[in-house]
Amino acid sequence: MGMDPDSPEPSGGLKIPKLPDLKIPKLAVDRRKALTAAGVAVAAIAVLLVGGVLAMSYTEGQQVAAFESHVAASEADIFLVYDKISAHIRTPTNDLSVAECDAHARELAAIARYGRDVTAYHRQIVAADAVPEAYAGAQSAYVRALDNLNRAFTLWSSAAGAYEMRDYRAANRNIGEADSAWRAYAAAITDYDRELRAAEEGAEVPPA
Amino acid sequence: MEWKDVIPVIAGAVVILVVALVVKPALLGEPIGSPPVYIPPAPVPTPTPFPEDGEVSARNFRWTAIDGGVQTTEVTVPEALFLAHRGTPRFSDYTSWGRYALADADRPVLEDLARRIAPPSANPDEGYFRLMNLVFFVQQIPYDRDDNTTSYIEGVLPRHAMYVKGGVEYPKYPVEMLVDGRGDCEDAAILMAGLLDALGYDTVLLRYSDHMALGIRMNEFNPYYAKYTPRYFTYGGRHYYYVEGTDFEWSNVSVGSTAIRGRPLAIGDAIGTGLPSVQSETPEIVPLRYIPVPGEYRIRPARLPAGGA
Repeated sequence: MGMDPDSPEPSGGLKIPKLPDLKIPKLAVDRRKALTAAGVAVAAIAVLLVGGVLAMSYTEGQQVAAFESHVAASEADIFLVYDKISAHIRTPTNDLSVAECDAHARELAAIARYGRDVTAYHRQIVAADAVPEAYAGAQSAYVRALDNLNRAFTLWSSAAGAYEMRDYRAANRNIGEADSAWRAYAAAITDYDRELRAAEEGAEVPPA
Repeated sequence: MEWKDVIPVIAGAVVILVVALVVKPALLGEPIGSPPVYIPPAPVPTPTPFPEDGEVSARNFRWTAIDGGVQTTEVTVPEALFLAHRGTPRFSDYTSWGRYALADADRPVLEDLARRIAPPSANPDEGYFRLMNLVFFVQQIPYDRDDNTTSYIEGVLPRHAMYVKGGVEYPKYPVEMLVDGRGDCEDAAILMAGLLDALGYDTVLLRYSDHMALGIRMNEFNPYYAKYTPRYFTYGGRHYYYVEGTDFEWSNVSVGSTAIRGRPLAIGDAIGTGLPSVQSETPEIVPLRYIPVPGEYRIRPARLPAGGA
């Protein structure tokens, strides 16, 4: 005995309704409500677009402001180190006793430690800055300048250490390498200025 | 759509904007920790001076001044200072031997001795004679090699004598040479440098492959009576003239006599020593005062970015 294809009856006894029994509900379209919904949707999209653009612009400005404040803080601290260096270099060394020579070298070591810590601290902050793409070159150059300065101070520290060990040849060698690092720092600052000008003027960076 | 459906959408947008513009920068924008500060070097305690009323080592020097007069000078050195030097390890690198000439503890002995050999004079013309008396005094101290036990008052090599290729090296502090009463070339150069520095002269050590002498800073030293071309070396833009520390021009008073007469090897006279190295080599100049001096140290101000928020 066959099963009626229009009204299948599985063995469990459940009756599956025929498809023609399903009815699409009728929607009562209210013109006013539809216009309101469309208006809200358009307004939401507009708010998101305008807000997004404003937020992006505001964020970029804030990123540049943060970068500026970090470079400013770095420069201020580096000039504090420079004050110490200047005073140290100005000290007359013609007629120093051995004890005074040793004290002079210890002061150089202390300044080198200070300079090394300051440059490492600000390097960490400036390198962590999220900057607009146009400022990436300037940021990179400034970080490179801090790296070179940090290396120069590290070499000064090594020179002072070699002096303590009475290894004057090594001390001279370290001072010579530190001089090179200072020159590399000056070159990096020149690069930074050029990159910064290009970022602000929106121009292509000319080759170094 | 009711207003109650719109409000959550607006509130969500506001929350997103607040998080993006305020919370995130506040969390990420501030540096961690505070900037480092300068920590000045800790002061080193001044060493206790050696007692002047304690045991002393004394030595009498009989020497000839440049005017031909025979002089006697007694030098006393605190025994504790001498023993402290003998117990001090030596620097193997001669670039730091200038420290011996300037040793602070030796300074009072050297200043006293320099005053007695070359008494202060109001007449500036006597400056050269005072200088040459000091030079001649040191040149007359007997030469003895570092590996000879006779070079040391104890009769044995010091504990810190350095055994190097070709023999023994033991650069003496000035007071050690004075107590021992003898020494080799670097000992004489160090003693002479210490004495001349006490008188205010600017000197360096001149290091040859097999010799050490003194360089004294002078401006255009070229006396009309010199039968030689004064030899000088330039260091830091200054001229340092050669001065021998271990020998002088001498001859026997008469045939068969052991008595000698002589005069100092003059300033700038590098030929009188007779050493080939002195005549052919350019010495390495070892300053008495060495400090590491950076050549570059200028900070370049960096322009700040403009156009921030």
